[in-house]
Amino acid sequence: MTQTAIAAENLTYAYGKLLAVDDISFDVAEGEILGFLGPNGAGKSTTVKMLTGQLRPQWGYARLLGIDVASQPKKVQAQIGVCFEINNLYETMSGIENLVLFAKLFGVKDFDAPALIKRVGLDGRGEDKVERYSKGMKQRLMVARAFVNQPKILFLDEPTEGLDPTSAQAIRTLILEEQARGATVFLTTHDMYEADRLCRRVAFIDQGKIVALDTPRELKQQYGQRIIRAEVVAADGSLQTREIVLDRQETPGEIAALFEGERVVTLHTEEATLEDIFIQITGRGLVS
Amino acid sequence: MNIRVISALAAKDLKLYFSDRLFAVVTVLGLVGYIVVYFLLPATVDETLGLGLYAPDMPPALEQLLSQADVDFLRASSLEALRQAVLDGTVPAGFGLPDDLMARLERDTEITVQLYISPDVPQEFVEIYEVILHEFAFAFSGQPLMIETTEIVLGPDMAGAPISPRERMLPLLTVFVLMVECLGLASLISAEIETGTLQALLITRLTMVGLFVGKGLFGTLFAFAQVVLLMAITGGLFHQPALILTALLLGAALVTGVAFLIASTGRDLMSVMGWGILAVLLLVLPTLAILVPGLASNWIRAIPSYYLTDTIYRVITFGVTWGDVASNLLILFTFAAVFLALGVVVLKRKFQ
Repeated sequence: MTQTAIAAENLTYAYGKLLAVDDISFDVAEGEILGFLGPNGAGKSTTVKMLTGQLRPQWGYARLLGIDVASQPKKVQAQIGVCFEINNLYETMSGIENLVLFAKLFGVKDFDAPALIKRVGLDGRGEDKVERYSKGMKQRLMVARAFVNQPKILFLDEPTEGLDPTSAQAIRTLILEEQARGATVFLTTHDMYEADRLCRRVAFIDQGKIVALDTPRELKQQYGQRIIRAEVVAADGSLQTREIVLDRQETPGEIAALFEGERVVTLHTEEATLEDIFIQITGRGLVS
Repeated sequence: MNIRVISALAAKDLKLYFSDRLFAVVTVLGLVGYIVVYFLLPATVDETLGLGLYAPDMPPALEQLLSQADVDFLRASSLEALRQAVLDGTVPAGFGLPDDLMARLERDTEITVQLYISPDVPQEFVEIYEVILHEFAFAFSGQPLMIETTEIVLGPDMAGAPISPRERMLPLLTVFVLMVECLGLASLISAEIETGTLQALLITRLTMVGLFVGKGLFGTLFAFAQVVLLMAITGGLFHQPALILTALLLGAALVTGVAFLIASTGRDLMSVMGWGILAVLLLVLPTLAILVPGLASNWIRAIPSYYLTDTIYRVITFGVTWGDVASNLLILFTFAAVFLALGVVVLKRKFQ
């Protein structure tokens, strides 16, 4: 039976009069990757801070691995790994020194820093000072730091933002490896492609509220439209685009009419992206 | 509280402190420089008074007085030579006696003496030279002063054992060493807040209490080690070592509290430096009262570092004991505790 790794119930937090997180509830199962999506200022960071014990909820509660975060934050923090959005590494220390420091702070015995450095693709650069690393290398080290204590739950905040495709893919692979190890992953991202590929479920948060929470497939089926997009040669010889919405009663007839009446050059099926669905639900984009 | 966690934090802080080139250089060069300055300063006070004299007609009484007095005399061959000696800085002042001095003394007529003074001689010294001149006059005339003087020494009688510039400077150098470390610690903490590394530290087993214990211990012991080194090399530690070590430890704790306060107000290195320099100026003020006695009024006692510098100065210079400086140590302990507590409170608010 699948256990609940993260349980949030009626979480609420306000900065003065600004209600950042407004009575949100959700569960994340052990071993699940949950995508937490929302525009800037939607309440993602405040939620993560409450889940990781950095902020005490003003209302509601969060339990990680069955432990109340607000009353036992250190017990929870010993079992989680956090990769922050901003680079907060010790720049004048080497990659290995950064990892060893955090291993000591977590009380990890027999910590093998070179092995972890190698695992995140920084082999041969572990002794270099972090200030000499590229952005991608720093991000890999940030992810490595979150792995130091072999956490049961990982909180990853925009782990691939601004990275080249190779570095981003390397980090996605690491996330999947952690999941395979049994870790639960709470992934905050703007990258719809990433969320779609990695996450079993995604939660949309907007103005402090969770407005949708389901698998990407279910969300697409519920809110999105599948279409056929065709390029045809018009009577004057120019290329024109035709769109046919799928999954309707009249769809087969429209497709037949297209092939009978027009000269079709290309034909593609398209489905709604998570971005489209977010816009449909909230009326605004994810990157704002 | 986990000792391993605290020691890992302190080791990291030490590494970061010395990886900041500015503070690494200032700390090492400062410490070496202060020690060099200390040894360059005179170890004894030169009490010899320099004086030029043009006296073609020297009275025997004056001749005898000059041979007995603790005055470094320069006999000039002419008034012009005397003037030149003063202008050159060979002597700070010179007396030009008239050619017919003896004849005037015999006739009991008025004698005019030229007193040449270098422009950088303080007014107090001018008065001293005038007193010497009057002494000469009494020596010529053979009439003793009809004044009887009784000396009453207030405080430790330092007659014959004047306080050397080194001894006066040592409390100032101590405060300088402490304040450089204070600025370094404040900068270190401020950088941890700004870069978000503190946030990462606090999502480990490290508690807020542990964080302050780690930072406090690192700051206090690092500052303490530096001033102990300074005191050991300059020999200050060998006057009542336990007493000096106690005062230094309390002083180090005090500046750690000040560093916490500065770090909580600063947003970056520049603002830390701005507030830090203000703190340095304030905490250095009491040492000026030692360098220039009588310069400061009693309000200087409101500055916490007064109780550190006064204790060090009195132990090193006057050899006072625990009982004599107990109140100083108690007040210093109170100031250190208050500043540390205040620093922890405001810094904790900043962290959160």
